[in-house]
Amino acid sequence: MCFKNLPIQFDEQGNASLIDGAPNPWAYETRELMPLEDPAGQDKLKKLMARNGHIRRVDFDPVTRVAGALAFHTVVDLENRKVLETDSMATLFRGYEVILKGRDPRDAIYISSRACGVCGGVHSVTSALALEMAFGVAPPPLGIVARNLLSSLEYLYDHPLHLFLLAGPDYSEPAVRATNPELWSRAESARCANTAVHGFGTMAELMTAMTPLTGKLYAEALHMTRVAREAYVLIGGKYPHPQTIVPGGLSASIDLSDLNEIGLRIGKFFDYGQKVVGIWDDLCDFFYEANPQYREVGRRPKNMIETGQWDDPYAYDASYENVDDWGRKRWAPPGVIVDGELVTTSMTQLNMGLEEFVEHSFYEDWTKPNGNGNGNGNGNHGNSRFPTDALGNPLSPYHPWNKETIPKAQGTNWKEKYSWSTAPRWDRMAMETGPYSRLWACAKSENYGHSRFIDPTGDSLRLDIPRAALPAAELEWHVPEDWGAFERNRGRAYSIAYTAMIAYDNLLIALDMVRNGETKVSTPYEVPKDFRVGAGFWGAGRGFLTHHIVMDEGVIENYQILTPSTWMASPKDPWGNPGPYEEAVLDTPLLENFEKPEDFKGIDVLRAIRSFDPCMPCTTHIHTDDRVITREVVTCACGADDDDHDHH
Amino acid sequence: MTTTTTITEPAVGLRVLVGGVGYRFLRDGSVGGWVTDELMERAGGDIEVEDLSYHPVGLHQNLEDRAPYDRIVLVASMARGRPPGTITSYRWDGVLPPVEKIQDRVSEAVTGVIELDNTLIVCAAFGSLPADVRVVEVEPEDEGWGEGFSDTVTAVLPKVLETVWSFTRP
Repeated sequence: MCFKNLPIQFDEQGNASLIDGAPNPWAYETRELMPLEDPAGQDKLKKLMARNGHIRRVDFDPVTRVAGALAFHTVVDLENRKVLETDSMATLFRGYEVILKGRDPRDAIYISSRACGVCGGVHSVTSALALEMAFGVAPPPLGIVARNLLSSLEYLYDHPLHLFLLAGPDYSEPAVRATNPELWSRAESARCANTAVHGFGTMAELMTAMTPLTGKLYAEALHMTRVAREAYVLIGGKYPHPQTIVPGGLSASIDLSDLNEIGLRIGKFFDYGQKVVGIWDDLCDFFYEANPQYREVGRRPKNMIETGQWDDPYAYDASYENVDDWGRKRWAPPGVIVDGELVTTSMTQLNMGLEEFVEHSFYEDWTKPNGNGNGNGNGNHGNSRFPTDALGNPLSPYHPWNKETIPKAQGTNWKEKYSWSTAPRWDRMAMETGPYSRLWACAKSENYGHSRFIDPTGDSLRLDIPRAALPAAELEWHVPEDWGAFERNRGRAYSIAYTAMIAYDNLLIALDMVRNGETKVSTPYEVPKDFRVGAGFWGAGRGFLTHHIVMDEGVIENYQILTPSTWMASPKDPWGNPGPYEEAVLDTPLLENFEKPEDFKGIDVLRAIRSFDPCMPCTTHIHTDDRVITREVVTCACGADDDDHDHH
Repeated sequence: MTTTTTITEPAVGLRVLVGGVGYRFLRDGSVGGWVTDELMERAGGDIEVEDLSYHPVGLHQNLEDRAPYDRIVLVASMARGRPPGTITSYRWDGVLPPVEKIQDRVSEAVTGVIELDNTLIVCAAFGSLPADVRVVEVEPEDEGWGEGFSDTVTAVLPKVLETVWSFTRP
């Protein structure tokens, strides 16, 4: 039984149904938020601030070095070095769900790709998967393998970018010198354990190499993103918005020359994967040894959701009926992790547990009469359009297939509405997602079917890296005991090696297929004119990604995109529980070394936020009146015009 | 400064890259791409015309692979508070902002932001621009979704073309 909070029960055969006798099983009571900056709380905060100069409002607006527009509001106690309150604010309306209504479903592949300028290709693939389920068409094996390659290459672009261009600078010489000079002194004499792999003798040398613009590791990461992009465009046509992804496969043929060109580039990630693992292992160890409290930076419960990706070319049939079977045969199997344990690998259960709430988001509740629903909101929903999925499994009125996007722009109010992100929940719990949730689900999965280079042990994942310039090596990622910002970055580092091995495995399979004359990459299809539903379950570099489609008469009736950053930038839910960014920052100790409050830079808060690799196209910001961190000020997160707070 | 140059014959011996920067289908915001399309047929010899509307780190990497240009000419729509339709052309002074700001621009570049200032700053910071960079900007009136341009910008498009092309001369 994977659900603890939803009104769903399973019989002995594993069939799901609503719990017997519940008159309105999805109904819920909301809890009123009592933020310090509520009109009532405002006085409380002002009194606190007047009495205690160390209590300060700090707004990160925008959070820099993330993709898109995110603002982050905090109240911090600089004396006790605690964060008292957090609010994560997605400051832009995405709107693709509205744009796609009434369009030819094939447009969704190209339009939804524009949701992201970093990883648009994964939206194209996810959209193609949703259409394939709705159309009833699946690609031939080489088409599936080619898509696997494309997504691998996209992640090999994405992960170095995050580790060295976005999050990495927080661990570089300038940042460490400025925020914790005592750590810099320690780094100058601290020997690296992995010098043989990455070449840096001391931690100071390594941190210097991470310096933005001038550091060797920064420059190398830029170069490696190019290597991945070059490989991608060989079959994707262009990047980040590929032209060759279609329902039923690819619109480009693939030959041995293409595969060899791609293989040359994948091979460069064998060494690079080892090197990046060595670097982030050394960084984590250094900080933990210097101060064990760094394990608590960005800490939150080990609750994660992972849709899985990289389909088995001989298992994927695009059907919802068989989604549990073909899902489990993926290189990265789907999974939901609660308190560190894998509670399900069933895609239907993963799908069944999804809900999106809008109590604190700039949207109307579609189940209310003034939305498009016919109920009273709060789960008193009347009749949902889809009370069950196609297999009879119960679905919430807040499930993406039932959801309507009804934007309602209004002023920011921490008690009411303050974000354009919805609050996605699984079994009514906040979940995070990322390449590490992929490793986690894979490490704990049983009967793993792709063990040529990857070996899950239950509490670790062994990766056999072939010899390139560096000798062959076995890397082992361990499911972490402490979960926080450093482990997210370490997991992302291991994911480069993991992804490279999946890419290589798929490359070898593709070569065999081409050698055997199995060169077909697409299956013909027609756009059905009758009523259809579908879902694409895939992943982005940052984790979970789904597209849910409802179509009729050949056009889209409803299209819902649920991205990893929507999960993680989530505002509070109906019960007042924070989203993952909010939760992680709230639990972050302020370890920065500062004398006066005005010197506070918020490095630990920023490390916590950036460890999630936020990719909003919607962001979080900290700024002070005279120290705006980026030029991309979308709106002030603080929602107040007074000046008694710091902006970073 | 508004130029009124009407030179149309390309020069010989000056290796020039002419490139538009911006997004398509954003009304006046799409001037850069339109100019690229229009000037493509004039390219030849030492003059290359190319749509440079992609992320500046990628452009920097591509420029590094090529034989050096004597001059790069960039054209884009930029909203800077001038009267709509204003054409501003200048030789870029190459002055870079502080390192932190450059870093922000690189972060924006790799996360998908395509913009003239980003292109100039990122490519210059990494050293892939020649000393001679010319810029032609057009002040937009309408940057909403859609094809075509506002009447104001439509009226100045011929002048934009010739201003850009004039920079292919020594």
